[in-house]
Amino acid sequence: MPLTDRGREILKRLPATHARSSGSIGCEIVRHEDLCIGCGTCPRNCPTGASRRGATFDVHQLLDAPAGSRRGELGAALRRLMRSQPSGPVEVPPRVTVYRTILYDGERCIGCGSCARNCPVEAIEARPPEVPATAPEGEGAEVTS
Amino acid sequence: MTAATDAAKAVTTTAGAERSIVAFCCRECAYAAADASANARTPLPPTVRLVLLPCTGRVSPLHLLSALAEGADGVMVAGCLEGQCHYREGNFNAIDRVKFVQRLLESVGVEPERCRMFTMSAGEPPKFVAAVREMDRVVGALPPLARRAAGEPALAATGGEH
Repeated sequence: MPLTDRGREILKRLPATHARSSGSIGCEIVRHEDLCIGCGTCPRNCPTGASRRGATFDVHQLLDAPAGSRRGELGAALRRLMRSQPSGPVEVPPRVTVYRTILYDGERCIGCGSCARNCPVEAIEARPPEVPATAPEGEGAEVTS
Repeated sequence: MTAATDAAKAVTTTAGAERSIVAFCCRECAYAAADASANARTPLPPTVRLVLLPCTGRVSPLHLLSALAEGADGVMVAGCLEGQCHYREGNFNAIDRVKFVQRLLESVGVEPERCRMFTMSAGEPPKFVAAVREMDRVVGALPPLARRAAGEPALAATGGEH
């Protein structure tokens, strides 16, 4: 269920706590960091600022990236030169844009799933909220159909 | 990615030499300076191989790292003076990317001096020659860069050699 522009506008005006408790949205967001290419689409589309570009980069994201991707190629080159395991994340200079770890704040996230919809490499999954077990079966069937 | 393949080619031709340095040169300034120094018959260290770029803004961390991984002992990026880029800010991008590669190298235990950025104008051939000699001196003082074969398994996660 893609959000319309109008829907996105409304979402921006909602206080995050209200939207989270309303239950209408509230997907569980699962990020696959090894697939992330750092394009920054998720921070751009996030209505609450729950995901942001970080100031540091975790070198393991290069080493774990799938072969064939740009990060994977960089990781393969780095692995050939590697003498020791990377010692923590590295600071990223301001003009380097894609080699950044995206920070995700679960507290601010309202689970709208716009990051998952817009992710070009499907590195983010939005799992729909679980239907409460107490709901009558007839109504549940109507909702899912 | 022709620049990367050029870099790899440049490296393989110097397999017999002791050290090899790949210099990524901006066409507007550093390459012109190199040209002028060659016309003046100033000898360059035999270790250096030049790769022509339209602007140093073209250089990506992948070019620098794959040159090192494929056999270069040092890479240098030679571009215009700060604020004098032909394309306005290509060299600022290059400066930050070089800085990023240095930090990457440092974090996996490789000397960050193997990757450096130099700036010069087209009218300064001696500065280009000095930069290359400086790079040659620094890399010559370091041991040859050890690298694993492409298929070799990566370092075990339990701990490094240092």
